[in-house]
This record gives sequence, C-alpha cells and structure tokens, in this order.
Amino acid sequence: MRTIIGLLRRYIQLRAVLSTVVLTGIAMTALGGFLSYSIGNGLFQTRLTQVLSESQRSVIQIQNTFSASNVSDEVALQTLMNSVVPSLESNTASQERQVALLRTPGQPSGSLALQSPMSSNLNLSVIPAQLRVKVAAAGSRLSYQSVAIPTAVGTHPGIAVGAPIQIPLAGAYELYLVYDLQNEENTLLFVQRTLVVGGLVSLFLIALVSYFVTNWLVAPLRVASDVAESIASGDLDKRIPAKGTDVISTMARSFNKMADSLQKQITKVTNVSTMQQRFVSDVSHELRTPMTTIRISGDMLFRNRDKLAPTLKKDAETLNDQIIRFEALLGDLLELSRFDAGGVRPHMELQDVQHVVGMSIVSVEPLARSKGSRINVDLPTDLVEVELDSRRIERLLRNLLANAIEHGEGKPIDVHVAGNEDAVAITVTDYGIGMTKEQLDRVFDRFWRADPSRQRTSGGTGLGLAISQEDAHLHGGWLQVWARPNQGACFRLTLPKLRGGVIVESPLSMPPRAALWALPKGFYHD
Amino acid sequence: MTNKIMLVEDDEALRSQLERWLTESGYQVVAVGDGNLVMDTFRAENPNVVLMDIQLPGRNGIELVRDIREFAGTPIIMVTARSEAEVMDEAFEAGADDYFEKSPWEPEKLLARVKNSLRVQQRASVETATEEAGGVLKIGSVSVDILGHEVRKNGEKIALTPYEFKLLTTLAEKPKLVFSREQLLKDVWNHSYQGDTRLVNVHIQRLRSKIEDDPDNPTVVVTVRGIGYKAGLN
Repeated sequence: MRTIIGLLRRYIQLRAVLSTVVLTGIAMTALGGFLSYSIGNGLFQTRLTQVLSESQRSVIQIQNTFSASNVSDEVALQTLMNSVVPSLESNTASQERQVALLRTPGQPSGSLALQSPMSSNLNLSVIPAQLRVKVAAAGSRLSYQSVAIPTAVGTHPGIAVGAPIQIPLAGAYELYLVYDLQNEENTLLFVQRTLVVGGLVSLFLIALVSYFVTNWLVAPLRVASDVAESIASGDLDKRIPAKGTDVISTMARSFNKMADSLQKQITKVTNVSTMQQRFVSDVSHELRTPMTTIRISGDMLFRNRDKLAPTLKKDAETLNDQIIRFEALLGDLLELSRFDAGGVRPHMELQDVQHVVGMSIVSVEPLARSKGSRINVDLPTDLVEVELDSRRIERLLRNLLANAIEHGEGKPIDVHVAGNEDAVAITVTDYGIGMTKEQLDRVFDRFWRADPSRQRTSGGTGLGLAISQEDAHLHGGWLQVWARPNQGACFRLTLPKLRGGVIVESPLSMPPRAALWALPKGFYHD
Repeated sequence: MTNKIMLVEDDEALRSQLERWLTESGYQVVAVGDGNLVMDTFRAENPNVVLMDIQLPGRNGIELVRDIREFAGTPIIMVTARSEAEVMDEAFEAGADDYFEKSPWEPEKLLARVKNSLRVQQRASVETATEEAGGVLKIGSVSVDILGHEVRKNGEKIALTPYEFKLLTTLAEKPKLVFSREQLLKDVWNHSYQGDTRLVNVHIQRLRSKIEDDPDNPTVVVTVRGIGYKAGLN
C-alpha cells in the first residue's frame, strides 16, 4: 500500500513537472524562433537599407567621375577605371566591400581593349548571373541579391549590389559592390545562442519551481497517506494536522472526522467484546458453583435412593440424570460462548498427532464395545508432528468418534491419519445411517440433531460438532463432512502442521480411498 | 487414622455439600470459607491434603498456595470453576500439585486425586520398605535416596514436594526410558487419558529450577523433543 501510494505520488509529481517542462519548452521554442526570425530580419533589413544607400552614393559618384572626365586615350581611361576600385573598396560606414567594374556583355567590341578592374579578393563567381541579367536590364536603378561569399572556412552571407555605368569611349559597364554580412550573421548567432541558453536555464528553473510547487501540494497527501497507513496498522490515535481553510485542510479535517468515527466504533466493538468475555467468565464461575452443589446433592440422593420411599426413588433417578444432562449442556454452552466472545486462547504444543489420535480412540473404546463397533486405524509409519492444543483436538476427535459409533449401527469405524508437507488430516468414517443433503447442510448448526426421534444414547448436547468446528477453526484447520443416506458419513479434520500455517491441500481424500468403492456418491459440506 | 482434608471454598452451599460428601467418602474434613483464615487453620490442623478454590474473599487461592509452599510440601489440589490456561499455569507455578474442575462434577475423579495425593506422600514409608537398603539413584550431580526420601545435589539437601519427589524418582528409576507427558500424568498423578499435560510441563519446570545448575539448559531432567522427558545420563 505504502509503495503504491508512494509510486502514485511520485508519478503525479513527475507527471506535473514533466508536462510543465514540455509545455513551457514548446512555448519557449516558438517564442525563440519568432524572436530569432524577427531579429535576423531586422538586422538584414537595416543593413540592406544602409548597403543600398551607400551603393547608390557610390554609383552616382562613379558615374559622375566618368561623365566628367575627358580622357581621350586608352591608357588614361584604364588608369581612371583602375582607380575606381580602391576608392570604393573601403568606406566609412560599413566594413570592407568588394568592388568589380565589369563590361556589360553583348556589346560590339569597341576600339579600345580595356581590362575590367576588381578587388583582388573577389571571386567573380560570387556575382550571380541572374543579377547580371537584372543589372543589364535595370537601366540606371540598383539591383541586389543575397549571395554566399566563399572564405577560407566556409562561406559568409553577403549582398551583391549592381548598377550599370556608362563609360565614355569604353561603352556600357556594370559596377558591382559585394558587402559581407558576417557581422550581422555573428550578431544573429549571438542572439540565438543567448536565446537558447536563456531558454534552457529558464526551463530548468521552471522544472525546479514546478517540482517544489507540486511537492508542496503533494506533501499533505503524503502525510495523509502515512497517517492512513498508521491507522490501518492499528495506531488509531494518529491524525492529520489541519490548519487553514484550503481544500487540502478540508480534506484533512474530513479524514480526521472519519478516523474519529472509526476509532469510536472500534473502541465500542472492542469494549463490547471485552465485556462479553468478562461476562462469560463470570457466568461460568457463578453458574458452575451452584451447579456443582446441585450435582453433589443429586449424587447423594441417588446414592441413597434405596432409603427413599419407592415413589420418590424414580424422582431421585430422574433428577440425577437431568442434572447430569443439564451440566453437560451448560459446559458446552459456556464453551461456545467463550468462542463467540473471542476469548479462547489455545494452548499450542508440538505433538505427535498419532499419539493424540490414539488417546482419543482409547477414550471411546468402552462406548465402541458397548455398541459392538470395531475401530480400524490406519496410521502413517513415521512420526507426524503438529502444533496443536492436544486437549481440544482430543476432545474434537473423541466427539467425531462418539458420533460415528452412535450412528454407525455397529459397523466398523475407519480412522485414517496422513500428513503432507504442511498439513495433517484425520478422517473418521462410519458406514451407518449417513445423512441426506438437507441434514448435511445443518450438521454443524447448534442444537441440531440428525434425527430427533432417535434415542440419544451417548448423551450428546447437540453442540458437539459446533464446538468441534470452532476448535478446528481455532487451529486454522478445516473440519469437513461427506455423507450419504444409509451408507455412512466421513468427517475429515485437516490441520496445518505449524501454527499460522496455510493448508494447500488436505493429505486425505474424502471419503478415504478404501471407502470409495462402497460409497459411490455423496454430499459434501464444510 | 483417618486422613484429614482441608477444604477451602467460599460458596457456602457448595462447601457444606462437599464437606458432607467427603465425610461420607471417609475423610476428616476441615472446611474454610474465608481466605484470611486459611493460613492459621492450616498451621493448626496440619492437613494431609488441601483442596483449594481460586476465587476467594480475603485472599486469592494462588497466593495461599505460594504461602503454604514457603514451609510445607503438603499436596494441594486446585478446585476451580475456571479452566483458563493462564490461571492454572499460575497456580502450578505457585506450587499447586494437581487440579480438579468443579464442573462437570466427576466425584470419582476427585476421590482419585485425593487418594493419589495421599499415596504420593506415603510412598516413601510404605513402598521403600521393600527397596534394598541404601537404594540411592544418581542422575548427574543429583542423588535420590528413595529410602530416606531425600534428594541431594552435590551433597546439599534439596527440599522437594512429594509430587516433585515422585516425578523425579519416576524418571530416575528408569533412566533409559523416555516418558511421554501422558505417561507421567498417569504414573505420577494417576490421571486418566483426559489429563492436562500443562501440569507436567510446569512441574518439570519447577523441578528443574530446584535441581538443575542452569534450568534453561537442563542436564538432570532432559526434554526429548516431540516425545517427552527422561532422566539425564551421567
């Protein structure tokens, strides 16, 4: 119970923490993605605006330079063109840019053979063909495109901006400016890293907080489960400390109220039981003393009956018989009351069961002889030790034997004893009048007799089997019966070998094998 | 000489009937109803057997047994309306020798127990007349002088009650035999099959506490598990 509650408790807590972390994680990832995207976009747009305005200025400046020049020879023009590149390579506002001044393809080759100057670290493949097409078709506008700039280690993001330039004498050219966006990229990476680290840290903190919060909520439940456990194991005074008015305190108070009422009930029942036991003990003492006095008087009357008038002699005899019967009845009733009051403590001792069986057989031998019944005994060869109250088990067996003799109609009585690993069984079988199903169902009832019209020869009280049943249960054993009308009855007592032992299977079948052929069908009751 | 029985019973009707019945059975009876008078009566009358009730006004029967045992080994038979284990064990531990349940009333049983109590006391003087002179049995450090009705341990005399003496001699006379509790109940107490073997257990304990060096590890009266008891060999 404790482990189940513990697991469940931990499970609830684990589940709460886990779901908090997962849900927060998803939310934070979405938020982080959005932030990262907008920051990246913002950085790019800012840089793009800057890049475009710088490029615009540069293009105008270059175009103006060429338009205003009046170079007339090839060398001077080449020199002028060459000077354009370094003048544009570095600018103040942003990092280095790379520059290329390329001749627009598809013109009739001019009279002049001029080289296209460009930055020394510029790889022409960076400028996409698409861009060149756009620039060629753009008129005087700027065109741009995002590009990847190869470096020693991988590539940098960048923007290539292009514009057409008209150079006198030389024809149509295109000016390209390639800007490196590595700084922006770095900034974005830094922001992203910060977001991720921050997110993980907050996730951990949230997990921690949710653990503590759920723990704080679960703690009263843990106390409640511990208290319930203590109460279950008998500590009825345990209560849950309850303060405040929140739902948990309300639960605690309800629980305590329930425990109070349970405790009251249990105490009441215990008191009743103790009182009943005391009562039975008192009744026993108070009744037995006058009973014995009456019996002695009856006994003396009986002994001296010959001195009485003949009319009184019969009374003396009846009185004595009925006193004896009454006393036996009282004894059995008190014994049953002790069982009912739960005040019976068996005196358990390790005993050889064969010995106990032998003793009980010896004690009924006079009765068996008087009825002409032979008692056949089948004992195992080795010692069968059983923890039992020999007085009670002997009484029980004596009772079964006396019943068998009384109902056996002078036929033999079979007694079998057998043991297995954890139990021992004793069967007492007679082949007499037996019982019907209806009779069998009531055989252990108090004061019930199989046939009221039959003469009571052994002076039974009608309580013998009820007491036997109680004695069997007191030992943790079984007392079962099988019977068939006019064919006999078989009582089987099965006892665990050790006190508190559990019987898995009775070592003897019922009825015993020897009787099976004789008694093909029967009824069972236990 | 008629044997004298002291009858301690608080219920007046039962006491007078028992007294009549025992007198009719041939005993001299001294009946006492008040626990406070028991010790004085005992000293004055010096009975051969005591029949003792447990629940008494004044003083409890078990206490009285303990007091009598301080100075006398006179057989004491508890006459009780209760058969509860705790009470009987306590009475035996206090020194009671036998018991008899008031109900169901079995007069033959009571007479048999009284007779046995008398027999146990007379045993030494009557039966040992036939014993060889100097019939002394030895079990370990304990010597049992049947003729002298004396038990010595390492030369020191030990006071045993007649029942304890009978129990010890029964075991000592047949040192090779293992006695079951029922056998001892029969041989020592003359009980029939329905005896209560706790009587034997407690008497064995009492005997051990008097004659053993270490009653928890007995060497004189040893237990044979599952069967019973026997005299320890040298």
